[in-house]
Amino acid sequence: MVSNKLSDSVPTDREVVLGILNNSEDALNRLYIGYFPMILQFILNNNGDEDDAKDVYQESIIILYNKIKSGNFELSSKLKTFIYSVCRRIWLKRLSQQSKKTSNLADFEDVVAVDVDIEQHEEKDLQFEKMGSALLNLGEPCKTIIQDFYINNLSMQDICEKFGYTNTDNAKTQKYKCLQRLKKLFFQS
Amino acid sequence: MSAEIKKVIFSILDKMKNDIELDVIIDDYLQGRLSAAEAEALEQLRINDPLIDHKVVTQKAFLDSLKQYGDRLSLQQQMERAHLQLDVASLSEQLKPRTSYVVKLWRKNKSAFAVAAAFLLLTLSSIYSIQHSTFQNGTYEVMRREITNIKNNQNKLVRTINSNSKEELGPIKNAKFGGTGFALTANGYLCTNFHVIRDADSVYVQNNKGESFQAKVVYRDQQYDIAILKITDEAFTPLANLPYKLKDNNLGMGENVYTLGYPKDDAVLGEGYISSKTGHAGDTTQYQVSIPINPGNSGGPLLDNYGNIIGVITAKENQVDGATFAIKSRYIMDALNAIPQDSLGKKVVFAKKNPLQGLNRTKQIDKIENYVYMIKVYN
Repeated sequence: MVSNKLSDSVPTDREVVLGILNNSEDALNRLYIGYFPMILQFILNNNGDEDDAKDVYQESIIILYNKIKSGNFELSSKLKTFIYSVCRRIWLKRLSQQSKKTSNLADFEDVVAVDVDIEQHEEKDLQFEKMGSALLNLGEPCKTIIQDFYINNLSMQDICEKFGYTNTDNAKTQKYKCLQRLKKLFFQS
Repeated sequence: MSAEIKKVIFSILDKMKNDIELDVIIDDYLQGRLSAAEAEALEQLRINDPLIDHKVVTQKAFLDSLKQYGDRLSLQQQMERAHLQLDVASLSEQLKPRTSYVVKLWRKNKSAFAVAAAFLLLTLSSIYSIQHSTFQNGTYEVMRREITNIKNNQNKLVRTINSNSKEELGPIKNAKFGGTGFALTANGYLCTNFHVIRDADSVYVQNNKGESFQAKVVYRDQQYDIAILKITDEAFTPLANLPYKLKDNNLGMGENVYTLGYPKDDAVLGEGYISSKTGHAGDTTQYQVSIPINPGNSGGPLLDNYGNIIGVITAKENQVDGATFAIKSRYIMDALNAIPQDSLGKKVVFAKKNPLQGLNRTKQIDKIENYVYMIKVYN
């Protein structure tokens, strides 16, 4: 079977790594668009559909992203091969979980042994979901205050104005209480 | 420690009475919002008070995972935005497996086809094996030679290459059958195959020097196809001590062996290996040996690498390549035991140590050669 040509707008591997390190949305965007067809083809030809492809692909991008961000990423193979190999492993695992036949995957790219700990990644996934549900249960305005302060790095002053607190000390106390409750929710679940 | 930091420590300790205050301080510390003096003071406190240190560490871990959550969330949002730019439907239309009906059928039912093929193969092979049962059942062809016609051929050869022929000292007339035998005792007891001397009126044995001696058959065992001859000729002088020993225990498959025999008028070496521990049709009294032999080899000794006699060459399978059979040495001993002990004199025995051990093949054969005889049978 002929592997379809990828579009030309794929950024170079260096561009991607530097772009991710510099939080460039453009680099990520081009990376995402560049390699999705490859994975779509792989999944479609191995008992999967578009949603599976999207799921697996995004997971592999998250793995790549975390690996680059953690600083211990060495570009030992082409990014394309890396992404393909990671997706292949994830998909194999899913297939075996669904106890489907996995004896012969139809491959379209080179595969390299990637030293990615899928279990560790799943652990992180779980943490992410736990935090998400904890935040959801926290309710407003706590959720927004926490997100603004800790994630979006807004200053106390900004939060004060946004929520109409009379002074920053009040906002601080409110934020403190919110954080305590979030901790409680997170560790309880 | 400067007075200023001490002061800050005291003020922190003072605030610590209130848990909330401490948490706020730690929070600010982790966010990098403390002044340098305050940060240093807190670090000092962490060193001194493990409880505070623990609080700082857990707070940091929690904030880190909160941060990671934020990162991941924004990454996923970015990817969602990127995904929206893709035209997934047309892409998958373009990339989805396009295989012909036959290929799809093949892919889906590969294992079923495999099972069917295996079954078919099995059926065919079992039908085949019923028709031609495949185990070795070729006829068992004993390896004595009918000398007359070969001899005639050789006589012609001798006439042309006159000088090469050995002078025959025995009876002038041609023998009818020929085989090989080897000395079991120094005083002239020889071992050969029963089928070699079957129907014999008289038996002569000829050594490698070309000297012929009359012999008589003193023991026959049709079951194991073993016969023992005794040289009765007055010209015969007792041999020197036998260089080889009999080896009783079974040899393993793959053991290298060789034989010396008289498929022609001079001794011929055959070399091979034990290919099965049982002989023709699973006969446990024999070995199957992969060794090239010819009519005339019957009754020859089968020796292992160390020069131990491990069997007697008997026959070969005529429909199977390289399947030669040799009677195990144990049955030679049984035959020997059937003969009165005092008449045997110094006989060959089973022994662990062998004088030939350690010698190379050529040297071994050099020594053994004198004890291997051509058996000539007249009737």
